[in-house]
Amino acid sequence: MLVTLRRGILAGRFYLAIGVFVSLVLTVALLRSAHGTTQFVAVFPLEVPVFASLGAMGGLMLFVGDRSKGVLEYLISYGVRPRTLFVNSLLVTLALTTVVLGSSLAVGMTGYLAAGNAISTDLENSVLGYTIPMAYASASFASVCGIIWSALSTPRAGMNTPVGLAPILGVAPPVLVLIVAEGVAKSSYYDVTVGAALGFLAVVVVLLIASSRLMDRERYLSTM
Amino acid sequence: MLTAPAPTSGAAAPAAVACRELSAGYRGQRVLEGISFEIREPAIYVVLGPNGAGKTTLFRTIAGILQPQHGSVTIDGRSIEDQATRDRLHFLSHIDGLPDGLRVEETLRLYGSVEGAAEADVERVLRLLEIEPLRSRFVSELSAGQKKRVAIARIFLRERDVYLLDEPTANLDPKVAGEIRDLVLRLSRDRVVLYSSHNLFEAREIGTYVLALRSGRLSLFDRIADLRSARYVVGVRAVAGEQYLSSASRIGDYHLFELSGPNDVADLIRELEGKGVRLREVREMGNPLEDLFAD
Repeated sequence: MLVTLRRGILAGRFYLAIGVFVSLVLTVALLRSAHGTTQFVAVFPLEVPVFASLGAMGGLMLFVGDRSKGVLEYLISYGVRPRTLFVNSLLVTLALTTVVLGSSLAVGMTGYLAAGNAISTDLENSVLGYTIPMAYASASFASVCGIIWSALSTPRAGMNTPVGLAPILGVAPPVLVLIVAEGVAKSSYYDVTVGAALGFLAVVVVLLIASSRLMDRERYLSTM
Repeated sequence: MLTAPAPTSGAAAPAAVACRELSAGYRGQRVLEGISFEIREPAIYVVLGPNGAGKTTLFRTIAGILQPQHGSVTIDGRSIEDQATRDRLHFLSHIDGLPDGLRVEETLRLYGSVEGAAEADVERVLRLLEIEPLRSRFVSELSAGQKKRVAIARIFLRERDVYLLDEPTANLDPKVAGEIRDLVLRLSRDRVVLYSSHNLFEAREIGTYVLALRSGRLSLFDRIADLRSARYVVGVRAVAGEQYLSSASRIGDYHLFELSGPNDVADLIRELEGKGVRLREVREMGNPLEDLFAD
């Protein structure tokens, strides 16, 4: 699994670097803004899942690359179960999500505390109820959609491919929540964000169940 | 069911590989249709057929990568779906199957760990395939031929009873291709090797049996030595008296003569020498395997 994770990092290193870098820059910018505390509590929990999802593309890229190069069919010939290969890619996605999420939370929370603030219940609830579940859910959503889509469709090159479009799929839900949450009343804020995160997690669970039916063994074979 | 003719020597071994009424394909489409054969002796079985005939699909199905839509694949009577049966075969795809982001040595270690090979096995295949100088190079930096050697090295990590080699010498220079053929020939002394190739001369040189596929069906399973061309053509090169050969058609330096069979070669030589032709070389030009591709 460590080798797979290392290869996943390598496959998606540019996305990972962009995800970590932009998230940290934005976190620092929020901490240093004129309305630091208020703005940080309102925006930080909502922006992290966007970049966590973007930075976790390595799992999908690893799966698609291994499939097209015939690595997956070799592993299947040795008796590795196709479902294990699917789950391994998903685990790489979750690990990469943890890298972006962990670095953002570490820098954000440390900076917030260092600025003399105490972690409020609002911030704690937002991070635990929205940021963390939404980061994993949106990254998994992009990865699972990309894997299934690439396996079911005819291979083609360029940006107009499942791999090219998957980052948009992953980023879209947290961006949508970010826009909606800015417009709702403060009393509804937690209901909207936490509801969206839980709802989206449910969508991912349904997708995972469907994937076991959609991804039969031949979907793991190279079409070259 | 087509069965390989009786072995030339020794007692018949138990069936190693058997396909029974095998149909397989992709996304509901059938590529293979009703393939049945039984392989009983260690040898190289060359699988031939035009593009799209189903060679790769046959290899994938025997390897247990693709599930049959109908029929079965067994090795010594046990289904290929059993892990113990899978552990008895090696599959080399026509695609290299080398993962990105790893060095040559790491790649072989990765596959070695999947197969249960020891560290010493990795060192042994690095020497065997003469890829030691490449051990620290990333696979992505290698040429197509070097990648092929690394891919082939993998099948020597552990010994198996059955080898499925899908175009193992494609993209290799003649020297390396010859070395690979020698390794495969050594394997085939006591192993079953199914070997696909588009190179008919290679197929004739290396194979003992041929399995010909046409439109997903098995059209022939026979000993290559027993195949006869529909046309028997010999090429003649002369040292002197070439003017007497001018009526014959030519390929390069060879003047071509179509005969009814090998028994007529001696008569042809006598006739040409009688006319004053001094012969340098007489060779068979046709390859009976070519007829398998004829319409």
